[in-house]
Amino acid sequence: MIAATGTKQALLQRLEGLRQIPTIPAVLAPLLRYLQQPVEQLDVQRVTELISQDKSLAAQCLQMANSPLFGRWQNVQSVRGAVVSLGFHHVSDIAMSCGVLNLLPSDTSSLDPVVFWEHSLGCALVCRHLASKIDFADPGKAYLAGLLHDLGIIVNLWVLPKEFRAAWETGKTEGIPLHEAEQKSMGFTHCDSGRLLAERWELGPDLIEVVSYHHSPEKSAEHGGLAALVQLADLLCRMRGLHYGYVEQRQVNLMEQSGFSLLAQHSTTLKDLDWARITFELDSYMEEVHSLVRAIYRT
Amino acid sequence: MRGGISRGDEQIPAGVLPSRACSRITDCLAGDPKGFRVTTAASARRGPGTESPPEPELVRIRDVIYHAAGIFHPDNKLSLLQDRCGRRMKALRVATLREYSECLTGRANRQAELIALLNEITIGETSFFRNQPQLDALRRVVIPNIIQAKSHLPIRRLRIWSAGCSTGEEPYTLRMLLREEESGQLKNWCAEILATDINQRSLVHAQHGVYGTHSTRNLTPAYRSKYFHSQGDNLQVNAITRAHVTFSRLNLSDNSGMTFMKSMDVIFCCNVLIYFDLVSKRRVIQHFFNNLLPHGYLFLGHAESLYGVNDDFRLVHLPGATAYVKGERTFTGGKWQ
Repeated sequence: MIAATGTKQALLQRLEGLRQIPTIPAVLAPLLRYLQQPVEQLDVQRVTELISQDKSLAAQCLQMANSPLFGRWQNVQSVRGAVVSLGFHHVSDIAMSCGVLNLLPSDTSSLDPVVFWEHSLGCALVCRHLASKIDFADPGKAYLAGLLHDLGIIVNLWVLPKEFRAAWETGKTEGIPLHEAEQKSMGFTHCDSGRLLAERWELGPDLIEVVSYHHSPEKSAEHGGLAALVQLADLLCRMRGLHYGYVEQRQVNLMEQSGFSLLAQHSTTLKDLDWARITFELDSYMEEVHSLVRAIYRT
Repeated sequence: MRGGISRGDEQIPAGVLPSRACSRITDCLAGDPKGFRVTTAASARRGPGTESPPEPELVRIRDVIYHAAGIFHPDNKLSLLQDRCGRRMKALRVATLREYSECLTGRANRQAELIALLNEITIGETSFFRNQPQLDALRRVVIPNIIQAKSHLPIRRLRIWSAGCSTGEEPYTLRMLLREEESGQLKNWCAEILATDINQRSLVHAQHGVYGTHSTRNLTPAYRSKYFHSQGDNLQVNAITRAHVTFSRLNLSDNSGMTFMKSMDVIFCCNVLIYFDLVSKRRVIQHFFNNLLPHGYLFLGHAESLYGVNDDFRLVHLPGATAYVKGERTFTGGKWQ
């Protein structure tokens, strides 16, 4: 256990220097870069080609494209078919989701990578759902933001497995949120380590802010709305069964979150949202997320 | 590598996907006609060829029920709703969901049909330990919060009201849960349960305390022997389970009766309000609000909501469950004050 002051800086330096920080798989790097262009300049054929370069990625994408989670009820049989029928953004979302899956270590002694991926995927879907309910300015980004918000956990799993395990055990034993447990046990959180990776990957200022401030969106400089959306979606997932492998023993009032006030400035409909119904709607997401993840990961 | 996106030459080890799955998927991509279709687990569960979007009529019925009764069926529970509608359709000799949906919305006797459907929906809902996440939340989060809120008081008393207790499974479940905490967090506390229902026959059943296999199906052997004694094939609650549980008849629409239910810490009112119209529901909820202590909690049934009914209570999320608490604050200027 690391508790001394100054440890955070030392550890962050260690992270900076380490070469085993996960890199974006070859196929996804160009795709991610491609995504940062204005929508008008995006070409569907190019996306199909980028995804099809990696057979395993393409297969995972097809599996996801056939899930009701992506609104698909008939068979999609090819990447091109998926791009045509689901649209560019959904296919990109799917490819990125599989990309994150492939970044995870296959075995850890603490947080199960499958459980982690379920949380990320669930959070991405809830972000997308919430964004559509509140007429969020950039719904296309919402999914990606939800998917990538916990990048720092991937960093911690790879680079500081022992320290992260201790933090996770603390969270589990005390039933407290993981970022609080990390702070307590390591002196920094996955928001700090995630920021390093997000910057290294040049994720763009909005996603870098989401990764850094999804537990404190009020600190976000430019993209507080997106970070706030992720904060609420993340909380909903964690309280409704898509958590980090343990139950947080606490009570959450979404409307008291800093993200709620932030989002309310952008959305007049937020206050009148039926949060109870959104919560119950999530239950069907949970089931689909579990079965999809099992199908892809543990076939 | 820094400052740029890696091209993957430093990739993390492969092998995230088990090789068997990889090769199967690769076969699919290679064009094996049988294997081409990538089956999701969800579609496999439903069986081949049965994957389809929810029927629009069923979604419409779902929304009718939600607006009228505040009880919500998420997509994964729509088949259950369809089954319950099916029973009513059989009774009414109606062939299609479209026709049945009209019975719920168009015809003069739609209120009666709605109640008949709600009866089907809630049938078999009464059993011991029916909603485990809700009970876990009570034990692990709500009771500790109440203990803390009351820590400055000289009298250590906890009052829980089971409003609409039907045949008694809910209050007896609560009693067993509280009894288990007596040696722990509720040591030296007096915890009492008030159980009310409008139906005299249900109350007689509850006081008699004899239950068949259906409602006792969730009971562990340890609980069976600790809190019940056998009576033929049935189980009867014993003296420990009866202690501190008081049954009485109360109509939730009876204003004077409702004002007597004072100083509650927690109210359970599960699948009861669904039968009330909006005006009566608002009145009952306002009573609950007044009956609860400032730190009090209101629990409704699984997937039951107060949306559009009351603005004073605030929704809170507990692990795997939702509850309502008394709100002291108002929303002004884009913020909670």
